[in-house]
Amino acid sequence: MVSEPEQTDRHQLQTLILGVASVAGIILLVTGTMLLAPILNRFGFLHFPLGFYLVAQGLFIAIIVAAFLFVKYQDRLDLRREEGDETP
Amino acid sequence: MTRPTHLRIPNPHLGAYYGILTSAFVSLAIMLALFEQLGSARLWLAYGMLVLPLALYVALAAAAHTLDIGDYFASGRRVPPVFNGFVLATVAAGGTGYFAYTGTTFLLGFDALAIGLAWAVGLFAATVLFTPFLRKSGAYTLPSFLGHRFRSRTVRIMASLLLIPPTAMLLVAELKAASVVAALFLPFSEGVALIAIAIVIAAVALFGGMRSVTWSSSLGFIVGAIGIGVPLIIVAVLVTNLPAPQLTYGETFQSLQNLESILGLGPAQPMPVGEALPVAQPSPSAKPFLQAFGLIGRADTIALFLCLVLGTASLPSLLTRSGVTPTTSDQRRSGGWAVLFVSLFAMTAPALAAFAKILMLQDLAQPGSSPPGWLTQLNATGLGFVRDANGDGTVSGSELFVARDAIALVLPMAANLPFVCTLLMAAGGMGVAIAAASNHLFTIGGSIAEDIIRIVDRSGSLPRLTIAWVTIGAVGIAACVFLMFADIDLLRAAIAAFAFAGATFFPVLVLAIWWRRCTKLGAMVAMGTGFAVMVLDAFFGGLSGSGPLQAPIAALIGVCLSAAAGVAGTLFGPGLQSAEESYFEDLRDPAGEAIYDRAQRRIMAPSS
Repeated sequence: MVSEPEQTDRHQLQTLILGVASVAGIILLVTGTMLLAPILNRFGFLHFPLGFYLVAQGLFIAIIVAAFLFVKYQDRLDLRREEGDETP
Repeated sequence: MTRPTHLRIPNPHLGAYYGILTSAFVSLAIMLALFEQLGSARLWLAYGMLVLPLALYVALAAAAHTLDIGDYFASGRRVPPVFNGFVLATVAAGGTGYFAYTGTTFLLGFDALAIGLAWAVGLFAATVLFTPFLRKSGAYTLPSFLGHRFRSRTVRIMASLLLIPPTAMLLVAELKAASVVAALFLPFSEGVALIAIAIVIAAVALFGGMRSVTWSSSLGFIVGAIGIGVPLIIVAVLVTNLPAPQLTYGETFQSLQNLESILGLGPAQPMPVGEALPVAQPSPSAKPFLQAFGLIGRADTIALFLCLVLGTASLPSLLTRSGVTPTTSDQRRSGGWAVLFVSLFAMTAPALAAFAKILMLQDLAQPGSSPPGWLTQLNATGLGFVRDANGDGTVSGSELFVARDAIALVLPMAANLPFVCTLLMAAGGMGVAIAAASNHLFTIGGSIAEDIIRIVDRSGSLPRLTIAWVTIGAVGIAACVFLMFADIDLLRAAIAAFAFAGATFFPVLVLAIWWRRCTKLGAMVAMGTGFAVMVLDAFFGGLSGSGPLQAPIAALIGVCLSAAAGVAGTLFGPGLQSAEESYFEDLRDPAGEAIYDRAQRRIMAPSS
């Protein structure tokens, strides 16, 4: 059985890791893709140069997916903490 | 996630109401298109398409009027996530994005895309790092949250004062965007249009505060989406035979590159970001659309991107909306919707720019033809012209001058669409600008009322809503008077506002929410340092692009110094109070009622 302070600490740590990983991951992905775009433009995708496509559309799709995945996982973490709090 | 039982549930008929309002707007557009074919005067069409939606925004705000404090400042905490997402996306991009970002994409191509990406990443960062915690706090304003977190009236007043410059810059930019469009199509001077738009915005914010702003802005978002979407889809069908502009504009790139080559648009060399960003006055396309890092170099692009990310994530007008949803989980979900909606707009802008560019260059490349209709119209309104600089009798790509903020309006003209399509685009931009402006106005007015006047007036002799009405009205008048005498550039004002917001509020929010030990002194030093860096930059001309340090770089330096100052102030200042620590613990518990609401119920309980 996990005590309430431990449950709280674990939840806060997991929230911190998820938050930092999500934001840092997206910022690194976006900056990396932008910087590599001229190289990626040698390839094509859906009539677009690949680098341009990724910066104009592909990264947005990744950010949208990341946002909704974050919501799902953070809700799951919060629910686990809430259930832990309610356990006698 | 369980929902606190005392909360009122969102209105289940909202979808139906907005379905009816959307149908009404679409019907209006179809009816005016029929009238145009029947020979109605353009002026009456403009009145119908631009003035009737304004009346609808005000009517919706009046219908959402309230005298309840919770409704006025937090929309009763019952805004569904999707609707809050509508408004968040509208505030992040705004009329500035609608007109200036599309134009910048037209003129800079690839180099401008970092701006759209920054809105999406900034909203994502706010959703992850800040908004669920602000929702748990339940504070009505951002300074109020900081004041409660650090148990300090000084922090609250200071944050409120520092919130004014960035929010006011965005307010005047949105106000200008809407009034310029109104003056372009209606027979009023820009000053009269400005006063009329300011009255509409003030009415929207005054009637029901956050509640009327939310419902009116949701309609503004829908009008904006229809306004940009319908003409663009028609153009996509005409050019590519498919009604999916975002997916199909890549097919035009080969022709676009050929036209750019024929018209002599060669690769450009990078220059400082302040000089590379196009101005509002008609200017030529200075680089090929697809050239990466042509006018804005790699380092400047990344600096601009990060500055806008930090600014979007900590923009007071966005964070003030953190208390309107029923739960913290709903607040996160609304952030997800906002990311989706702003991304859809940012994916649409390059499509609009590419189609506009190819249609315009195709007309210019035809030898010996008379000036195209769109060029004649641009000439008549002063929004564009052709200058044969080298006197060779032909027009090159760099001899076409177009006003940056007019590109969205030029697309339907260049595609020879009915005039109603141009009006639809204009109505969409006005709707978005008015929605964003009313949010900025409410943020400033509400904060001055709640975080300065109510704190200074400890006797509580003035009624809470009366103070808010007076401050909102006064801020609206001040913005209007400012614009009567000053000329601002939408894009530069918006970038400066995001830079100010990022440098001033991002570090203090991170420290307040994610660092238990952060103290009042640390928060004050952090905010003061970030703001001081930006003021110094503005003093030396950095915001206008003429100073030694460009605004995005100054903002990043400000964020670093502000964070360091906040940590130092905390470590070397007085220790943490137990009240601050317990508030922090409460803040980090996602379940249950908002801290502010719980405190209010406790205060009310003995008297009831």
